[in-house]
Amino acid sequence: MTIKETQEKLRKREIAPEDVVSSFFSRIQERNKEINAFLSVFQDAADEIKKKDEKLPLYGAVFSVKDNILIKGERCTAGSKILEHYIAPFDATVIEKIRENGGVFIGKGNMDEFAMGSSTENSFFGPSRNPIDIKRVPGGSSGGCAAAVADGMCNAGIGSDTGGSVRQPAAFCGVVGFKPTYGAVSRHGVIGMASSFDQVGPFTSGVEDAEIVFNAISGKDSRDSVTTSIVRKKISRESIKVGVPEEYFVKGISNEVKEAVEKAVSDVEKAGVEVMKINLPHTEYALPAYEIIMASEVSANLARYDGMRYGLEFERPAAKTIHDAYINNRGEGFGKEAKRRIILGTYALSAGYYDAYYIKAQKIRSLIAKDFKEAFGKVDAILTPATPTLPFKIGEKIKDPLAMHLSDIFTVTANLAGLPAITLPCGEKENFPVGAQVLADRFNEDILFFAAKKFEKIWKH
Amino acid sequence: MRKEEIKKLAFLARIKLTEKEVADVPRELESILDYIQKLSNVDTEKTEPLFHFPDLKNVVREDKSQTTDKETRKKMMAMGKDKDDYLKVESIL
Repeated sequence: MTIKETQEKLRKREIAPEDVVSSFFSRIQERNKEINAFLSVFQDAADEIKKKDEKLPLYGAVFSVKDNILIKGERCTAGSKILEHYIAPFDATVIEKIRENGGVFIGKGNMDEFAMGSSTENSFFGPSRNPIDIKRVPGGSSGGCAAAVADGMCNAGIGSDTGGSVRQPAAFCGVVGFKPTYGAVSRHGVIGMASSFDQVGPFTSGVEDAEIVFNAISGKDSRDSVTTSIVRKKISRESIKVGVPEEYFVKGISNEVKEAVEKAVSDVEKAGVEVMKINLPHTEYALPAYEIIMASEVSANLARYDGMRYGLEFERPAAKTIHDAYINNRGEGFGKEAKRRIILGTYALSAGYYDAYYIKAQKIRSLIAKDFKEAFGKVDAILTPATPTLPFKIGEKIKDPLAMHLSDIFTVTANLAGLPAITLPCGEKENFPVGAQVLADRFNEDILFFAAKKFEKIWKH
Repeated sequence: MRKEEIKKLAFLARIKLTEKEVADVPRELESILDYIQKLSNVDTEKTEPLFHFPDLKNVVREDKSQTTDKETRKKMMAMGKDKDDYLKVESIL
């Protein structure tokens, strides 16, 4: 059930607010053991929802929150052993805003450690499972929230998206995932991964819900230095031109996804939307550039964790020197993928390699952004596949980091160029959902939602 | 990447790697390092790097301290060893 549908039922008094929460609780009780979507569940959600004013835009919305977003007084692990006992001392801005707008929180969603992964297999607390087929991954890194929304354990989720961590799991679980324009939503109180890419975004059962949540959480915040309030919320025209980039249908895409998305594109065309082929020539360089910049920023952001405050250090005999304490705690506190990315980032930023890797990648990033700028001179929105494959099996890619990273090949471009992008189901193959992605120019969220709602209607028929 | 190089990077990053990890990491990073070499095919001589988006302006606020309420303080203290309302950590110097 969508937020919108829940609100209607609540307003017509067909259901009581506490029943909304209790039905989600019973679903969690029944299913979470198997799915492992939630790391913690908040019993007070039923009391909270009763206190909310029914006129508020998020009234009736019950959120799962990715475990790298701070909720005051609650544990916040980022899926890592190094933060296993960390209790958040304040609310993230996005949490404050959801609360003020009538939403409540039902629990914290499982995730890949520090949001690094495409399957949630990198969580210290064990992988989440795809509710459609529990042998398969729900995607990642915000896999817990995606699975929770897909399986009816809540009607919305809040995740973070650095290279596709909201959009890719949404596509794998058959729900809607939205990454706003970089700068549109505050990251204050969100545990940073790669700060020039990180954005906060919702999981929902429909595009309209994503828009409702976005309107509630976006805006300038004095505690996130890149936020702004220049987002456009009203579209000024009735028809749009849609571009389909050829580079997103070449090497690496599976036949199932290709067929499903091509059919979805032709359905859009048949419905009377103007569709044209476009080119984004530097697409193949997006993921390698992303790898370098992301790893560099990860190595800087994760430098702050010394494992001294939140329990880890007390499980072991004290180290003799401060250096030993750091290296021991970090060696033990971080998982494999986190360590690999820190090492890669340290390498890319070290003397002698900085220009060849980091600066080079930032120049490529410029070219990617320029490709999009030129494309948005011709079209209003861009339509692509969301992921190159259907959801893969647990264990299938965990030993091959590059294969895992390639899951994000269609989503990282929006982070590099700071664009808003949304993924939504556009068809089915072998009983699995196939996701499409819609992108728009920076701060053109109005066009993005307009296009995505139009497509959603076409694909649902 | 050679073993010595991994050890040096691990030292710089303040991470202790087990012998197995020292052997595994270069192999695991190899495919990614090969993959990123691709970037050298692109001529970026005249391209400026994009470190941040020019349409964003820095947001600033007043540098004022804030007080945490009692209940949160209590929960925070429960995370580690405490001594007289302070968190106790290892001595640094």
